[in-house]
Amino acid sequence: MRVVSVPMIRTLEEMEPGETGSIVWVVGADGSVRRLLDLGLVPGTPIRFVRRAPLGCPLEVVVRGTHLSLRRTEARRIHVESL
Amino acid sequence: MSNPSEIAEIHPLPRTTGTTFAGDPEAARPLVAILGNPNSGKSTLFNRLTGLRQKVGNYAGVTVEKKTGLVTLPSGRRVDLLDLPGTYSLHPGSPDEMIVRDVLFGLNHDTPSPDLVVFVVDATQLDRHLFLALQIIQIGRPVVLALNMIDAAEAQGIAIDELALERRLGVPVVSISATKGIGVGSLRRIMDRDVEPSTVAFRARPPQVERVLDHLAERLPRRGLLSDAGRRDLAIALLLDDGEDDAIARYAPHEVQDDLKILRRRLDEIYPEWRMDEATGVYEAVEDVMKLAVSRQSEARPDLLRERIDRVLTHRIFGPILFVLLMGAIFQSVFEWASPVMDLIDGGIGWLGGIVGGALPDGPLRSLLVDGVIAGVGATVIFVPQIAILFLFLSIMEGTGYMARAAFLMDRIMGRVGLSGRAFIPLLSSFACAIPGIMATRTIDNRRDRITTIMIAPFMSCSARLPVYALLIGAFVPKIWVGFLTLPGLVLFSMYLLGILTAVLVAWALKRTALRGGKPLYVMELPPYRMPSWRSVFLTVRERSWLFLRKAGTMILAVSVVLWFLASYPGPGPEGRALETKIERAEAAGQTSRVHALTAELQGLTLRNSFAGRAGRFLEPVIEPLGFDWRIGIALITSFAAREVMVSTMATVYNLGDDDDGFHSLRDKLRTTTDPKTGERAYSPLTAVSLMVFFVLACQCMSTVAIVRRETNTWRWPLLMIGMMNGIAWLASFAVWQGGRLLGLG
Repeated sequence: MRVVSVPMIRTLEEMEPGETGSIVWVVGADGSVRRLLDLGLVPGTPIRFVRRAPLGCPLEVVVRGTHLSLRRTEARRIHVESL
Repeated sequence: MSNPSEIAEIHPLPRTTGTTFAGDPEAARPLVAILGNPNSGKSTLFNRLTGLRQKVGNYAGVTVEKKTGLVTLPSGRRVDLLDLPGTYSLHPGSPDEMIVRDVLFGLNHDTPSPDLVVFVVDATQLDRHLFLALQIIQIGRPVVLALNMIDAAEAQGIAIDELALERRLGVPVVSISATKGIGVGSLRRIMDRDVEPSTVAFRARPPQVERVLDHLAERLPRRGLLSDAGRRDLAIALLLDDGEDDAIARYAPHEVQDDLKILRRRLDEIYPEWRMDEATGVYEAVEDVMKLAVSRQSEARPDLLRERIDRVLTHRIFGPILFVLLMGAIFQSVFEWASPVMDLIDGGIGWLGGIVGGALPDGPLRSLLVDGVIAGVGATVIFVPQIAILFLFLSIMEGTGYMARAAFLMDRIMGRVGLSGRAFIPLLSSFACAIPGIMATRTIDNRRDRITTIMIAPFMSCSARLPVYALLIGAFVPKIWVGFLTLPGLVLFSMYLLGILTAVLVAWALKRTALRGGKPLYVMELPPYRMPSWRSVFLTVRERSWLFLRKAGTMILAVSVVLWFLASYPGPGPEGRALETKIERAEAAGQTSRVHALTAELQGLTLRNSFAGRAGRFLEPVIEPLGFDWRIGIALITSFAAREVMVSTMATVYNLGDDDDGFHSLRDKLRTTTDPKTGERAYSPLTAVSLMVFFVLACQCMSTVAIVRRETNTWRWPLLMIGMMNGIAWLASFAVWQGGRLLGLG
């Protein structure tokens, strides 16, 4: 029997360009990611992964109508639920 | 000096009433601060309101630039306008943001808390910009909310109910377009009014946090104009600030600092999400405001233009190609377009020197004016074309939004060295000249990255090193084909490469030692494409050129006068007087060529006998292990005025005139000079390589030192730069010379 597993929650890094999701959690909310929170990446916010830079990093995402560039290490901390 | 916040205690209501503080005419004008997120059009509004009446300084002790201007309001009242740095949050992530927080809470020594805050938001991104706006309004200072880019918002079908917004926020709201000048008149009228602080409470925090804040706010020293609500905001700012922020250490009493640590730990235990909920709570309040005041008449349209442009500019193949072409064009312009203007300045300075020299009798005063002062002014003004051209391009790139895309493309590569994509352009510009390159590091927001970039920029081989390379390669490197390259070309390329590789190593080392610490988040906004505000472009170019002339120029002038003195005194001695009589006799006899030769000999004698000449000999033991003699020692000293001066100094040392003929005869002279002790050739190809390596790596440019001092606002970094670069240069040349001799190449 084939088991098809559809992961519901992934990190932003694992998403593909063009995909949209909703932020579930930002790992490391001990102050080191406060900038991400201040920029509006709080749980429940929709996020769209637009593209990767030509060398694979950083990534471009859209949150609250703002386009942001994030490095992969930062994208790894953002957990996203597919919509 | 009296602390502004203490003055404020004696005069509790100094704001819009125009109260004068006794004895200080500067404090008589109310202070209005413009504040907003980066890319909100804040600076365009500042330029629109102040025009050319701007002043740029620094906040005490930090690299952050302080821009103020004078505004006359409709009633004729004049206010000082302060352009605070763009910031995302009251919880600082950079020195810029720390300044904003300190100024707003009245914690800054030299800038009082503003009497009115004009908060600028991008109306097309109202929800994200309101995040900070709500926090600022909450502090309890008088605020005016300016909805900027209202025309763009309308075009996108966003309708904002100003009145509803005013009621909900409790502050005056005005729609403007800073680029087009729409609504700026209304804004000026509102700035003229007595604006009251908002009394609206936007949200409640969970009881645990509220209790902690009450406790903390109670313990903070009572001073300044801070309201009770503001004190609670200061408390939360301090609580959230577990970074390396010394403002707390400066302003909060010791027992409060200990409390902070304990309270933070307690909160982490009983309520682990408190930090995230701080942000979430504000965004929930923002959503309430948005629901009440903003409606979209049409479905949110994606910015199609942006999509189309980005698809090309950040394309996997075309993106980098276009970037390289654009960089090539900029580099070429800074390098080439500036040179006719620079030649013109050079000619003008020479002409001025001739006029002044002709008008004055021969003597120390003429020498001081012509070779010291006028040459020093020339050494400063000569940089202005490059600075102006580079900043013209940079401000257009910043204004259109391409700068962020360039950083997006280059981030991966620069990340390998521990820097961000924004460091690329300053470093590239440094190949033309490190001065504009170092000035361009202002676009790097992380302080450590910025200083690292400043420290490695002078390793890029600048155009002033080219004449030195050309002289030495021309004299000592034979034209042999190596594959498809010639040996001279290969050597020149190696010099550039050596600089780059050393820069990479130094960046790596600095990021692990002096500039270690913190794991900055490299989050960057990619703003929409816009037409740049030409007014702002013009003002930036003008401001950068002027700042350089004024701040760095004074130091460059001073150093060149000192260098002039060192190279001219104590004069040629008795032997020189004999030469002078010979010159007079030759002149009388009309022997022009003999006069030239004798004059060159006299100049050479003067230099060799001068303090610089003696220092060159004194230096000989230090530079001998590198293969250099006292003649090169003199050139190393005088080339501190500018690296290319090395060539003319060598010519003078050899009694050659410093014209074009001199260059060729100097090349021959270098080849044939013999060491009087051994009778062998004094300079070999190995000496040339060792000397070139020294020129690649050493910090020999007073203008670079002056600009690093100005940009870092401290002597620490320029002094470290001199020590580090010259140390590395010495070691590298030592390795080349000694290693080469061991291999039998000397």
